[in-house]
Amino acid sequence: MVSDQTILMATGTILVFLGIAAISYSKNLVKSVMAFQVVVFGVNLALFAAGLSQTSRLMGDTLVFMSILVGASAEAVGLAIVVTVFRKYGTLNPMEIRRLRG
Amino acid sequence: MYSEAVPLLLSAALIGVVAAALFSSRVSTSLIMLFYASVILGAIFTLYGDSLVGLLQMITFAGAVSVLLLTVILMTGQSDLSIGVRRAALYGMLAALAVAAASAYALFAGSSGIASVPSTDISVAVFGFIWQYREWDVLILVTVFASAMVAVTNLLSEEK
Repeated sequence: MVSDQTILMATGTILVFLGIAAISYSKNLVKSVMAFQVVVFGVNLALFAAGLSQTSRLMGDTLVFMSILVGASAEAVGLAIVVTVFRKYGTLNPMEIRRLRG
Repeated sequence: MYSEAVPLLLSAALIGVVAAALFSSRVSTSLIMLFYASVILGAIFTLYGDSLVGLLQMITFAGAVSVLLLTVILMTGQSDLSIGVRRAALYGMLAALAVAAASAYALFAGSSGIASVPSTDISVAVFGFIWQYREWDVLILVTVFASAMVAVTNLLSEEK
């Protein structure tokens, strides 16, 4: 029988790879930030699943706690960069921004 | 029943919602689906007895970050909320309710009441652990938040 920990770890891994694929596939910077958020979700789930096997789950829970706060801060900075890029170039398409930069 | 059905249902729901968010052509649909993904992930943490982290996950990502994303979408003129998208949001909400009901049924079926919920109060223990290393924990978090605030303020300030 597959354990809960294995299922959650596999789900976290799938989320990380889905997020990375979407970051490289996306043609909209806002969606890239959303894909980054999915990567953070996957990492949080994997950390949580890793903590399930321990007799004391404190370390895993504390790492998830920290990861949530750091991920939210990084995402806020990323969204601010997106707004700045939109103000400067008038578009959110990374290919178009690269073309406009010359 | 609990050990098999709950993680499978929640994992399938999470992967489905995330895939819908990432590969949808509309940004508004992605935002709504990402909101549901945050709620499902918070439910996973809560169902496994870690209510503190589940609550923080929902407050931070389903609350604050969703509002930030919505603000950026409105600022950049990407909003495309039509009747169809609202209907999709309603269907998503119904699906999330169905998943929650199925998980709750699987959690409590075959057991007498609340006995299957982990009895250890993990949130108190986590607080104790963080309190033990509170100097470093607070220092790191204050540094991260201060850096994020300074960076966002600098980036969003108007050039003269």
